Amino acid sequence: MSQFLLVLVSGVASGAVYGLMGLGLVIIYRATDVVNFAMASLATLGLYVAVSLHDRGVATVFGLLAAVAVTVAAGLLVRETVIRPLGQGQLFSALVVTMGVSLIAENLAGSVWGEQPRDFPSLVDGTVRWSGAALPVQSLVTIGVAALAMALVGYLFARTTLGSAMRAVAESPATARVVGLGAQRLARISWALGLGLAALAGCLYAPRSGLATTALTAPLFRAFAGIFLGGLTSMYGAVVGGLAIGVLDNLAANYVSASFRDTFVFSFTVLVLLIRPQGLFGTRTFQRV
Amino acid sequence: MVFNRSVLARAALGPAAGAVLMVFMAAGAIPAYQMYSVALAAVYTIVVLSVGLLAGWSGIWSVGHPAFFAIGAYFAAYGSAHGWALEAVVAGAVTAGAALGAFLGYAGARFSVLYIALLTLAFTTVTLELVNRWSSVTGGDQGVPVLQLRSALGLGVFPGGGTEPQYLAVGAAAVVLALAVPARASALRMRLVAAKSHPMAARTVGIAPEAQSSLSFAVSGACTSFAGVLLGLITGFVSPDPFSLSFGISLIAACVLGGVGSVLGAVAGGIYLTWSPSLSTAVGVPQPVVQGLVLIAILLFLPGGVVPFLAGPARRVLRGVLRRPAAGHRPSPEPPEPSEPPEPLPALGPPAEGPALLHLEHVSVSYGGLKALEDASMSVRQDEILAVIGPNGAGKTTLLNVLSGLTGNGRVSGTADLAGRALLRTRATARRRLGIGRTFQHAEVFSELTVAENVLCTRRRIRAGDRDAVARLLRSVGLAEVADRRPTELPFGLQKRLDLARAMAERPRLLILDEPFGGLDAGERALLAQHIRRLNADGTAVVVIDHVLDDLFSVAHRVLAFDFGRTIGDGTPDTVLQDPKVRSSYLGTVGSRARLPDTVGERSLIRLRGTGHSYGGVVALRDIDLDVREGSVLGVAGANGAGKSTLAGILHGSLRPAHGVRESSGAVRTSLAPEGRGLFRTLSLRENLEVAAYAAGITGAALRERLEETVQWLPVRLRDRMSVPAAGLSGGEQQMLAVARALIVRPDVLIVDEPALGLAPALVDEVYDRLIGLTHDGLTVVLLEQSLSRAMAVCHEVAVLHEGVVAAQGRPGDRQFAALAESAYFSGGPVPATTASAAARTSQVK
Repeated sequence: MSQFLLVLVSGVASGAVYGLMGLGLVIIYRATDVVNFAMASLATLGLYVAVSLHDRGVATVFGLLAAVAVTVAAGLLVRETVIRPLGQGQLFSALVVTMGVSLIAENLAGSVWGEQPRDFPSLVDGTVRWSGAALPVQSLVTIGVAALAMALVGYLFARTTLGSAMRAVAESPATARVVGLGAQRLARISWALGLGLAALAGCLYAPRSGLATTALTAPLFRAFAGIFLGGLTSMYGAVVGGLAIGVLDNLAANYVSASFRDTFVFSFTVLVLLIRPQGLFGTRTFQRV
Repeated sequence: MVFNRSVLARAALGPAAGAVLMVFMAAGAIPAYQMYSVALAAVYTIVVLSVGLLAGWSGIWSVGHPAFFAIGAYFAAYGSAHGWALEAVVAGAVTAGAALGAFLGYAGARFSVLYIALLTLAFTTVTLELVNRWSSVTGGDQGVPVLQLRSALGLGVFPGGGTEPQYLAVGAAAVVLALAVPARASALRMRLVAAKSHPMAARTVGIAPEAQSSLSFAVSGACTSFAGVLLGLITGFVSPDPFSLSFGISLIAACVLGGVGSVLGAVAGGIYLTWSPSLSTAVGVPQPVVQGLVLIAILLFLPGGVVPFLAGPARRVLRGVLRRPAAGHRPSPEPPEPSEPPEPLPALGPPAEGPALLHLEHVSVSYGGLKALEDASMSVRQDEILAVIGPNGAGKTTLLNVLSGLTGNGRVSGTADLAGRALLRTRATARRRLGIGRTFQHAEVFSELTVAENVLCTRRRIRAGDRDAVARLLRSVGLAEVADRRPTELPFGLQKRLDLARAMAERPRLLILDEPFGGLDAGERALLAQHIRRLNADGTAVVVIDHVLDDLFSVAHRVLAFDFGRTIGDGTPDTVLQDPKVRSSYLGTVGSRARLPDTVGERSLIRLRGTGHSYGGVVALRDIDLDVREGSVLGVAGANGAGKSTLAGILHGSLRPAHGVRESSGAVRTSLAPEGRGLFRTLSLRENLEVAAYAAGITGAALRERLEETVQWLPVRLRDRMSVPAAGLSGGEQQMLAVARALIVRPDVLIVDEPALGLAPALVDEVYDRLIGLTHDGLTVVLLEQSLSRAMAVCHEVAVLHEGVVAAQGRPGDRQFAALAESAYFSGGPVPATTASAAARTSQVK
């Protein structure tokens, strides 16, 4: 039982990370039709900056803030220089361009900070005992911080006029134009928000995995699986899908086979999508002639 | 299959180049250390071709090909360790690749391009994990050697890593290229491209997109697995490294670089993949950076690829060198005039009295809670032309979609019977075989096929006679001159002819025409009417819907009128408009004039002079002169498709007119309540209002104040529901909210586009009362209306729009104008607009 609790908590902690990343992906996708493959590698750049600051004795919290700031800045640079010139509605081209950006960013990180994996500082150490299981505090902090971030995002979208405007643009760019909403400004805000969430997710994930140039690729893929499971355009779907993938992933690794966790996660996702192509929270679209 | 000589000549280029290359290799002209690279380039060419043609022809972008590549390579390793023959290894790899590809293609057809990217990404990830863990077969990350494979057919022994496999690779690539060239000219490619460029239109010509993508992915996967076997043989050793996801990204880069869907481009891509490591060494930049930069640069600056980019100029240079005039069948550079010989117009035959071909009983279609068609019953005789009329939203297009099987996820009930076959239970793709052809309102032609291919793709296999038959068909509709052009290069009128030709291609028993006259000029419409009659004279039954009533009535034996999803009238073209129910569905029924403010300013707030607009060759508005006077209510009345919404956008300022000028006096603030309400359905009422104020730069306390003020304007029943999503409102309530949203920015001019659309009469009155109430506060209103009588009842001034032109303009109080306006509404004016018969009918309408 205590073993199961441990697996469950670590699953929810991973799922919270995937959910945060997925949330970032969905926010950017809804606002600008770009599936941002480069999100993980841009966040990795931020993490390296955080580690460098940590090595110079800067407090971890400031390091994390720096990571978010660097990631957001890099993301906005990418959007303005290579994504925006592509024009609207270029789904696949935009995806491939971000793949190219990802290759470059990973290589840049490798050449500046070296290919050797490093440790990433955790916010807290130690464990707490609860019903017979020694739960790592870092996992609980991860869950707490992610939940707080998700709640803030929820507040932004549900309770503020800016959030309403972002939802409006996502729902119908054409109507948003008629009403006169500034699409570019909202797109930039969405990118900044999405990348900030990715950097935060990276900071929560890296203490367990260590930091390498491709450290965030695995959570990015799981976040992908999560958002497709959730329905690609739904923010709830991203969170729920991410959590589901995280828990499944850990259950499979512990009770089935640690060697085949990708196989398990992706087969599950594809099977669900074969039965329900629009995902759990997505809406089915119908093309009219 | 029949190929002309140039196809065969081009197909021979691959083997010829391969043979030359092999001679060079044998003669030692290629240094030994480059031999491996040449063979690798050959292998990569096959892979890039597989990925590129899949993307170009089927629109499926796969990042799963590294997995197929790996499957082939491990087959080679396993086979060599277990003494399999070369042919057995190839057969095994190809079968495995084809089976997995068919599954991915089938699954992928249900998804959009992004889902396929995830699906294939998952496929690569899973395959790599299996390769890494299943070390008894794959050797895990240590890899496994490929010893040698012996050919069972006596081609010799191919030792892993030896020189023989290098020749084999080059030879194989040559053969694959040679096969790819004739495949370009085959019906297979046309059907794949058709299914990709317009899946729905493809269904109506009998092409099932799922089957097509499954087939093409199977072939692509099989080819890549085959290339994997070759890779195993030429390297002599297989490890997981070459099959990473970044190889998948590089493959896409290579495809895009060479030109997606181009055979020669695949060769360029293969060469790039092979030598990009050397390239990055040469420029001193790490390889991933080079690949990333190349990828981004190509997509940004040369999205068509290098080979197609160079091919045009190269062909011109080549032609210049050869000093040969352009070949006879080349299309002329300027768009040709319709070169139809003037034939006598076949007269419309006598009213049809043949047996019924099509019979519909109690057919209803609903989408969620919305009933698009309600209890429709009708029959069409074998030699009849039936016209279906009705205002916008009456359910006409839904009726056509029921006949052609394109109702999507709508719920269809009732029965339909076509010559004894139950129609509703037949799949859309099978209805073509039952003898149903259809055209689309916007001419949904396959934009990536040539004009001739658009028609040819309706055949599964192209025989010798087919090309002639298609040529004859194209000549008969006046498209012979442009047979080799892409439809996108043609004016809209010719695209519609192509749509018709495609529908006619296999002599359907029932032809369904969706607004065939819309967007055509007078000459084209006369020509089309002629075609429809000729087809009917040859024994085809026709069901046609349109808003251009003159033209419609000139070809119809019988007219069926629809409104709110139901049949409301039935008669001959001469009598149907006399039915008061039918007339009022168009003109509306409004008795008394509303109380408008008496004083109207003379100052023009917005002035249009010579303003026109068109969308991709379709003229929506031409030469509009219009003044919006301060404090007045200006009505713009016109049938659906007359250009009202375009005019609304131009007056609003959100649409820039293509010609002419829009002037406004000083800082006039305009606000638009668009057609169909244009609410953000997932946002609450309050959020809808807030967002509009936010867009105008109003925030904080000012926003709250505006919100307060605007909410007061809304009916009480809405004020209590400010936090409900807008989708939950009824049509009338949505319209009220849309107007309120337009008001929150305190506009000088409020433009309301079809506020009555889809509303019950009582609600229409409420909406109008509130609009008129606004004018008493000094607001200037522009009202775009489908119903002429309603516009006459509530406006100071009415302009009647007919086919993009202001056909009449005046004040509703003026009796002469009232008569003028009605004839302008239906036919553009009291003077015959198109034909003499139209004038006759116009007088009847009066």
